Amino acid sequence: MNYSNDSELIDLTFKSIIAALPCYIMIQDLDFKILFANQTFKNDFGDDITGKSCYAVLKGSRHQCNVCPVRDSFKDKGVHIVEETIHLSDIKAIEMIAFSAPLFDAVGNVNACIKLLVNIGTIKDSQREFVTLGQSIALLSHDIKNILEGLKGGAYVVEEGMKDHDTQLANRGWEIVSKNISEITRITQNILYSAKKQKPAFKDTKPWVIARQAGQLFSEKASSMGIQMLMELNPNVPAMKADPAGISRMLGNLIWNALQACQKDKIKTKHVLVVRVDFYDNYNFMFEVEDNAQGMEKEIMENLFKEFFTSKGDSGNGLGLMVVDRIVNHHNGKVEVLSKKGAGSLFRVIFRRQDQVMEMD
Amino acid sequence: MENTPSKIIIIDDNPDYLFTMKTFLTRNGFKVETASDGNSGFELIRKHQPDLVMLDVMMENTYSGFEVCRLMRNDPDLKTTPIIGISGMAEELGVKFDIYEDKEYFSPDAYFDKPVDKEALLAKIKDLIS
Repeated sequence: MNYSNDSELIDLTFKSIIAALPCYIMIQDLDFKILFANQTFKNDFGDDITGKSCYAVLKGSRHQCNVCPVRDSFKDKGVHIVEETIHLSDIKAIEMIAFSAPLFDAVGNVNACIKLLVNIGTIKDSQREFVTLGQSIALLSHDIKNILEGLKGGAYVVEEGMKDHDTQLANRGWEIVSKNISEITRITQNILYSAKKQKPAFKDTKPWVIARQAGQLFSEKASSMGIQMLMELNPNVPAMKADPAGISRMLGNLIWNALQACQKDKIKTKHVLVVRVDFYDNYNFMFEVEDNAQGMEKEIMENLFKEFFTSKGDSGNGLGLMVVDRIVNHHNGKVEVLSKKGAGSLFRVIFRRQDQVMEMD
Repeated sequence: MENTPSKIIIIDDNPDYLFTMKTFLTRNGFKVETASDGNSGFELIRKHQPDLVMLDVMMENTYSGFEVCRLMRNDPDLKTTPIIGISGMAEELGVKFDIYEDKEYFSPDAYFDKPVDKEALLAKIKDLIS
């Protein structure tokens, strides 16, 4: 291509650079109307954005934003930086950092401002991950601290029992020690599972067998807590391709949560926990863990599977349900939670029936 | 009369903690009663008129430790009974109770974070009862 002079080449080069920059660039007038938009901006919001107001295009709003760097730049002729959330479409919101700077005319007046928006979604995601990591370490430290308190207390009681040759007292102390060892084991296993990157090894697994084994692990515990544990297992539910250790952990965490919910409930005198395996419909089967404790508030239910969310005060770090969620996702299943305040909660995990998947394939 | 053991009531919703603390204090010469929630704990306090109450701050049932403390401070018979607040509220979670700054909400005579140093607790109990 031949250019008549250098300035034409430079002009074209600048235009190409501005068009290709992976950020939104616009120039706005005093009414916040867009006078110029670069191609990246137009690609995402349409070619007809010139002449429209910035807030209508970016926020779908008829009113100026409460925080507007361009308004501030018009006001003090300075550069302003803010974080903004814009709406690319009805459902997609993007976090951006917005810079605005005044454009001066020959006599120093400002009748237009340039605004540049850069997508910082991935940076914000990383920030959130760091916050979650910080919270998780804090919650785990708190849990471990409580367990150590229990271990120290239990050990003290054992020592006192031994000192006085009081076997009963020593046994009671050992119960406390043993309970806290189980708790630290459970937490450690959940941490290890949540940290595991590799895909689980799937093999043919009978749902009712694995549910029975998981239930048996807790039956003694339930009985010591005065909670009746029932197993309603349908052996006709066909085998699934699953990671047995994962499914067992999933059920263990749900059972443990249900036991704790029952223990916390001081209103009812009789508590029942049911572990169930049955058909859900023609194509799916389900595991259920149901308790008759006090149920949950709506706000708690909505946040249940968020990382490290807990409603259990001192006795939980939210890691258990996060691990449940991860295991269910690994197996392409889904979790339903039904709960009624005062009546109890039911966690239902639904998986595709393997025989039906093969038929459909 | 000098040999009559001082009465302590411990209110905490952790049964293991109650048992451990009861064992510790009994072996150090106190008469100890326990309750696992604020509601029954307050009834026990009214019934036994103890020399000191150890109160878990964050119980999840009817009355929290804050509530029991408030009820005691408003009761003419109990308002001078020494209270030791105990809490698992954690600095690592950004929660820290300050006995001076937060006294409008909770006014114990002493306050310990879990894990409790038993010897320091014992010294404080003796100090408050004497």
